[in-house]
Amino acid sequence: MYLKPMFYQFCLFVACLQANIHALAGPMGFDESFMAMGDFNNNWRESFINYAITPRDAVGISATYMRSDDKSKTRTLEELTYTRLITRWNAPHSQANLWFVGGIGALQGEDERVGKDHDFDKIMVTPGVQFDYETTRVYFAANYRFYRASSINHDYSSVRAGFSFYEAEYDKTQPWFLLEARNMNGLSDKIEITPMLRLINKSFFVEAGMNTDYKPRFNFMYIF
Amino acid sequence: MKKLLLTSFALVTLTTASVFGNIAFAATQTIKANVNGMVCAFCAQGIDKKLRALSQTKDVYVNLKQRIVAVEVKDGQTLANDTVKDVIKNAGYDVTSIEISEHPVAHIKAEMEAKK
Repeated sequence: MYLKPMFYQFCLFVACLQANIHALAGPMGFDESFMAMGDFNNNWRESFINYAITPRDAVGISATYMRSDDKSKTRTLEELTYTRLITRWNAPHSQANLWFVGGIGALQGEDERVGKDHDFDKIMVTPGVQFDYETTRVYFAANYRFYRASSINHDYSSVRAGFSFYEAEYDKTQPWFLLEARNMNGLSDKIEITPMLRLINKSFFVEAGMNTDYKPRFNFMYIF
Repeated sequence: MKKLLLTSFALVTLTTASVFGNIAFAATQTIKANVNGMVCAFCAQGIDKKLRALSQTKDVYVNLKQRIVAVEVKDGQTLANDTVKDVIKNAGYDVTSIEISEHPVAHIKAEMEAKK
């Protein structure tokens, strides 16, 4: 129990550190690099850091907070993760990737029920796949990840599409517009729609937006 | 004595000309690769960082639109084309062709920007 706050403090520290230094498209960096990622809104907050042990494989740790729309269910998950670039298609002006992202970790849950709260601890496994396609002007990604524990199903699915306002030089910042639709099974009955502005630079990747319920969202990625 | 002085002067002149001539005509070596899949600056930074980490590298230039990666080699050093190819491949991209240029990276950059 004592370790849990320490773990979150560590993840928060990593997230803040990266945001302070500078603040991607694939879920891992190049060989022998670290990649820190954060995805934050009111009901889903995830901090993730991994290390590329080969050009195609990365191992990492992740901490995720999940909450249902009605705030009656909260979940925290601390995971060890593995990321694998299954295949990549390089074309003259485009690239497409198929990724495996998965983890195993400890899930702590709390369900508010009439007259009695219900707490539990379980082991959760989170295997998933991501497909993405991009050019210098358009971007598309689809993601499905199982979030399963005994009697728990919080599968996460998302689709994103967007375009850049203009092509940019390698060392200049490029702005993008993105639209994302996502759902967290068992936590929300809705499909959350979020338009976002994305800024890509060779050093950082940040996204900010507001969903259709006017809740803000902020994402970042940083490779070092 | 006069003849000796003239001969010495001629020798010094020839030697100097030869040394400076070699420097002046020492060709800059830049390896220029055409790369497939390079569409995003954030993702392509792996190429840049890994190439800059090579001890022979003087400068690197990446152009996403023209799909070019250029590596200027330090004076007096050599860098194999295959090394550059391997670095780019390990970063996740495909090299479709590779050539040697006698121009420095700054010149190639200026040339590319003029094409815009």
